Amino acid sequence: MSIVAGSSAYLEGDTEVQTGVAGFLLHPVAQGVALAAALALVLGAWFVGQARTEILTDHWNREVIQELMGLAESAAAIEAADKGRSEELLGVMLTRLPGTEGRDAGYRVLRLSGARLLASTASGDVGDMAAPRRLSREEKWLFDLGQGIRASVQTNRDEGIYRRRQVEVDEVGDSLFRISLPYFVDDKVAGIVQAELRRPDTTSSASLPLTVGMGIGAYLVTLLVLAIAGKERREKDVAFHKPWVLFFAAVAILSVVAYAYGRIELGGVERLYRSAAAELAADLLEIKESVGFLAGEAGVTVSPGEDNRWDVDLYQRPIGVIDGSGQIVNAGLEAQTAVIRDQLGRALRLNWIAGLVVVLFFGLGFARRLRRTVREHKYAYVYVMPAMIGMLLLAFFPFGYGILLSFTSQTVLTVSEPITELLVGFQNYINILGDFDLFQKTAEGAVINYQNFYWTLYITVCWTIFNVTVGVTLGVILALVLNTKGLKYTNIYRVLLILPWAIPNYITALIWKGMFHQQFGVINQAIQMFGGAPIAWFDGVFSSFMTGLITNGWLSFPFMMVITLGALQSIPADLYEAATIDGADRWQQFRHVTLPSLKPTLIPAIIISVVWTFNMFNVIYLVSGGEPAGANEILITKSYKIAFEEYRYGYAAAYSVVIFFILVFYGIFQTKMTRATEAANA
Amino acid sequence: MIGSDKRTGQVSHFWLHLFLVVFTLISTYPILWVIVVAFSGQQSLAFADVPADPGFLDRLRAILPWPQTWSLDNFTAVLTEQPFLTWMLNSAIVAGLTTVLGVFLACTAAYAFSRFQFPGRKAGMMSFLVSQMFPGTLLLVPIYIIITQWLGLGNSFVGLVLVYSVTAIPFCVWMMKGYFDTIPIEIEESAIMDGASRQVIFFKIILPLAKPAVAVTALFSFMTGWNEFILAATFLEEEVKYTAPVGLKFFVGGFSSQWGYFAAGSMIISLPVVLLFLYLQKYLVSGLTAGGVKG
Repeated sequence: MSIVAGSSAYLEGDTEVQTGVAGFLLHPVAQGVALAAALALVLGAWFVGQARTEILTDHWNREVIQELMGLAESAAAIEAADKGRSEELLGVMLTRLPGTEGRDAGYRVLRLSGARLLASTASGDVGDMAAPRRLSREEKWLFDLGQGIRASVQTNRDEGIYRRRQVEVDEVGDSLFRISLPYFVDDKVAGIVQAELRRPDTTSSASLPLTVGMGIGAYLVTLLVLAIAGKERREKDVAFHKPWVLFFAAVAILSVVAYAYGRIELGGVERLYRSAAAELAADLLEIKESVGFLAGEAGVTVSPGEDNRWDVDLYQRPIGVIDGSGQIVNAGLEAQTAVIRDQLGRALRLNWIAGLVVVLFFGLGFARRLRRTVREHKYAYVYVMPAMIGMLLLAFFPFGYGILLSFTSQTVLTVSEPITELLVGFQNYINILGDFDLFQKTAEGAVINYQNFYWTLYITVCWTIFNVTVGVTLGVILALVLNTKGLKYTNIYRVLLILPWAIPNYITALIWKGMFHQQFGVINQAIQMFGGAPIAWFDGVFSSFMTGLITNGWLSFPFMMVITLGALQSIPADLYEAATIDGADRWQQFRHVTLPSLKPTLIPAIIISVVWTFNMFNVIYLVSGGEPAGANEILITKSYKIAFEEYRYGYAAAYSVVIFFILVFYGIFQTKMTRATEAANA
Repeated sequence: MIGSDKRTGQVSHFWLHLFLVVFTLISTYPILWVIVVAFSGQQSLAFADVPADPGFLDRLRAILPWPQTWSLDNFTAVLTEQPFLTWMLNSAIVAGLTTVLGVFLACTAAYAFSRFQFPGRKAGMMSFLVSQMFPGTLLLVPIYIIITQWLGLGNSFVGLVLVYSVTAIPFCVWMMKGYFDTIPIEIEESAIMDGASRQVIFFKIILPLAKPAVAVTALFSFMTGWNEFILAATFLEEEVKYTAPVGLKFFVGGFSSQWGYFAAGSMIISLPVVLLFLYLQKYLVSGLTAGGVKG
């Protein structure tokens, strides 16, 4: 029997021991290290691959952008000098651009005013479609693209920050790309230049032998450590074993592997970036010469300038790695590589932590205990598994992910960026809960800021209280009436009164929306019938609130009615008889017999209906839509609108987390209350 | 005996009937409204054209739920000219698959929770309950990302079916578990003595015994899929893939106001649900209140 295995038994407080070679090879510590290393390395390789791909893609983009910037500057200069000749001059220039032959690229120059395609060497623009010409109807996308870029430039200038991309990179077909950027005349966007070309495969991956080798190495070293530990123990004293040593050895092995791997791959990524920069620098010189020459032929001079205006990112911010004379700027290069190092380094560190968790899991024996439990209760877990997987994937995981999102600034524009880059801490919560500007000063005096969280909360609370009150009141009254002894046709009334509950509530909501229509809605017709003036229901805060209240009241009373009716029918008749004998009048009977008997049924029903109403999305969303100006939004519809109309996912998630906590507090409060009343009654 | 009924007798009942009739009329008015708009053969919200200077009777005519002409045009148009039939079919597919998957998931899990003692049983059941408190909008964005970007199931029925089935799980599991608990365990024990395997016991003995509960679970899952609006509206992008609720909203949302189509479509969609609901509401109520008491 192997003593090594014995040590693991000690470690786990476990008497079941695996023996022999298999026991040695599958020693929990070895398993743990192998799995942890595999996890850290596979994830690491994936991150490294992403980083490398990004560098290569970025490199290719910048090559094209440099050339386009040169072209844009030439177009701007030509247009500024003599508009009449620009079509001819640009036409000549495009055909002789080095990219036309070298890269098999097509170029377009579009003047936005008049939607005029000044020149083009794109594959489609031949024959009848040859430039110069006006854009055809089918080419509206090109014009829209130009307008979009113009709008982006304007936004960025207005806000003084780089928020929207000024260079558009679109994949239009299988590896076929269009890159477009603006040219400026008189400091205004006059048009765009565009290149259409195929991008070579820029996907790159981490070194496979290194990744696999490191993984196997980690495993073998662990086995070696295990063997030595076992031998030591055999030679000295069996009682003398310190499993913690083994555990720390495992942690150390994993850490060394993760560190070494990170070093090597980070170095590789950095080298890739440097060589890409050097290539770009050489490329710039070429472009500077050829474009400069062609522009010279057309009678203008262009140059990237000392600070190299041509090497920009997608927001047209200077990158600052290469200067105008094609030299690498060391400070800029260092700054750029530092950014890459930080990002990738952070990801790799997270992998290392994930690996440590795995080692911990195995080393402390959880893994084996888990396996044994699963084996023992095999059937139970097999039966629970499908539902559990579903719940984990589509309920619990989204919940956790939503909470994570709530700490980020993610929007629809940044979904593709890694979430760790967007972390903003508690900023969203501070913005939601810390904003007390309930009133805005305008020309007409102070006006309530309907976008404020506390206003929406106030509306939600009012909404819930009024709705539940209306529902319960109507429901109880109707139930009492229907429960009258000897009343005929109660079954018919009952079925008819349940109908509002039976109809899908989105249909109900839309029906009421139609009935509240200002001009044709029946409700306004009825008001006019009695000489009133028609009401613009959705224009006023109060009237709009009423539309929701009426609709939801109509929806919710049948539930309360059915529940109450059930409870009333189960009250024993002798209770009333006893009360009558005691001389109680009807009111006293109701107060002291009926109400207390209803309580056990009504209270849970009210609790549940508070939560339902609080989250009643359909009625608000479909009837008033939160009109006017979002004043009647409740929390749940507001968070939906933030997510799917403003596309601020992070902020919406924080909003929802706040809603969740309100509900949790309500739940706790409710339980305490119920317990207290139960205790008081007992 | 309850109070003064004996003394006041018929008079009291008369007032009660009056109250009930008036209230029932008010509460069924929106339903009459939708029926009348559906059978009016027009797309208008109003039942009758109101003249330029309407009097009391003209107004009354406009709110009286009786169409100027009875016509089936809206129904035929909705089913033939509009893609409504496709939408109904989509809804039927989605709701049908949701039912199958939902019942399977709920029955298996509920059976385990009811019959086996295993570590994590309590935690699992509690977690199902707690998940009911998660606000939908918090889950919506992550689910959207998971379904569309990770699983690549955006704009597809499969994604919707998965989400709907899981949404229905907690309620169905709790209800099924309650029912399984009432089936005596001796039946299973004797089956085991006879050499039946777990699978045989579950599929051949327990499920047939639990038929009523399975039926209610199936209906609940079906209604989840048939009535759901927000997720479908968020996930489905193409008009041909709309489910019926999204399609109905499409008739009257934004700038279109085809109220006739909407009304006819609403009736077609609601009818089966309403009938089922009336038939099964007592089970639903007991399930809901039971869950409420336990929660």
